[in-house]
Amino acid sequence: MKDFRLFDIMDFVMDEDFVRWVHEQRPEDEAAWQAWLTRNPDKHLVVAEARNILKSIYMAPPAITTQEIEKETERLLQTIQQQPEQAPAKVTRMRSRTWYAAAAVLVVCLAGALYYINNTKSTKTSFTWEKVTASRELIEHVNTSATAVTIPLSDGSSVSLAPGSRIGYANRFDSADTRDVYLSGEAFFEVTKNPDRPFRVFANEIVTKVLGTSFTVRSFDNDTTIQVIVRTGKVTVYSQAVTNTRRSATDHKPGEVILTPNQQLVYEKAAHKFQKVLLDDPLLIVPQVTEQKMEYEEASLVDVFNELSKAYGINVVYDSELVGKCTVTADLRNETFYHKLDLICSAIGASYEVIDGQVVVQSNGCQ
Amino acid sequence: MPENDAQADQILLKQLQQSDAQALATLMKKYYTDLYSYGMRFAQDEALVKDCIQEVFISLWQRRENVTTILSLKYYLLRAVKNKMLKSLHQQANKTDSLDNQDTYDFLQEYSIERLIIEKQVSDEKAAALRRTLTQLSPRQHEVIYLKFYQHLDHGQIAELMHISRQSVYNLLNEALQKLRTLWHAEFLTK
Repeated sequence: MKDFRLFDIMDFVMDEDFVRWVHEQRPEDEAAWQAWLTRNPDKHLVVAEARNILKSIYMAPPAITTQEIEKETERLLQTIQQQPEQAPAKVTRMRSRTWYAAAAVLVVCLAGALYYINNTKSTKTSFTWEKVTASRELIEHVNTSATAVTIPLSDGSSVSLAPGSRIGYANRFDSADTRDVYLSGEAFFEVTKNPDRPFRVFANEIVTKVLGTSFTVRSFDNDTTIQVIVRTGKVTVYSQAVTNTRRSATDHKPGEVILTPNQQLVYEKAAHKFQKVLLDDPLLIVPQVTEQKMEYEEASLVDVFNELSKAYGINVVYDSELVGKCTVTADLRNETFYHKLDLICSAIGASYEVIDGQVVVQSNGCQ
Repeated sequence: MPENDAQADQILLKQLQQSDAQALATLMKKYYTDLYSYGMRFAQDEALVKDCIQEVFISLWQRRENVTTILSLKYYLLRAVKNKMLKSLHQQANKTDSLDNQDTYDFLQEYSIERLIIEKQVSDEKAAALRRTLTQLSPRQHEVIYLKFYQHLDHGQIAELMHISRQSVYNLLNEALQKLRTLWHAEFLTK
């Protein structure tokens, strides 16, 4: 144990524990140092000077969210999977500004697409069940009953096939690199983890690709949309309609959309466009006991949002500088996700919107 | 607990050696914020920094058979990101000027003195004096401060990363901190 009583200003400035107290402002450090100062009152001035020096060089942590880091990690995994052994490194360049532009265009197209669909009969696409599966020898299941049927697959995954739906797959999936399943209708998949062999669901022109997770795909030939809903884990979805050539199993294209729990993807067939929305009643992705702790008294709003975001796997976006001083006293146990949000927002006079599968909170801050 | 941390890294590097992609993902998540923060010091170009970090981890994957020889992974990654950033910036800036001037680069540092001003209610003159002092520091001093206080590297690692001697690290740091000390000391005397 270091004897801080012997420390001079510069010793404090250079000391890692001291730096952590001043820069990171953790409550446990705060308590320990305040106690130490009570025992050593003559050190107040030295500590105050050392604190000021450190505060002068304080820098805000970098503005990168855990979601962005997840996205980059995903990108890394995609890249190394598609790389042949010992090939020179090459990154698929992704310029974030282009992405924002694409997102903006998407919104406009969707509005257009809705108008288009309402005013014309939906055109038959070339990705019907017959066309997609014609050249393949598949084991087929058709559910003609009135209830869902569960089908176990050879890799340990299982499919719960909805009434009026049909699924097909090759014996043992016949490819070494992927596990491919063809779907017409609706099914809930629970996929066994296997990072070396992505599990792919072909549903009309939409391909949903996962390494191991559970999710629902709804794609009836006569619907104007195709929907993918994620329960756990993460899936990527892309359209075959954009380029009609067969892609390699692990190819990563910018047209891919990544879905996280409680997000739903709606694909407009006529317009070939994706839209990400949140489920009407998002489910907890953490154990129930965690939710039972969501009772707050004068808690920091930022902490409450963080816990909420973790409990549902849904990104909550807000201006941390504006709401930094806000506190919340509320009992959020056993409430639905949106009711929780309503309670928090009404307590601090804020409002929220759901944009692109995220919750965006608008607030004027607190005094 | 740096020792435990180093042990945790060693375990992950062993898994990486066995071609475990999840170990690589875990390492990326663990160090992403630090590397991103450092990369942004060389150029405030998010996409460029992200691409550089991608490349660093891809080459880590490609040389995975030998990764267990890396002693301090954090130091290794920081150095790799710095080299990649300077290389890309250099290529962007001037392709003809190939005679490398590796040791002249800017180091952007944004200190948030507003936090201090709000908390302590320092006078306007004091805030102005502090701003002046901070802007007088050289890019090298900013980098030493950053690596010492934000990446928690030891003086030996800072010296190696910046291609300077340990004594220079000490001098740069001491000079910068003494300037701040004088500034604040005056404050305490006049109160």
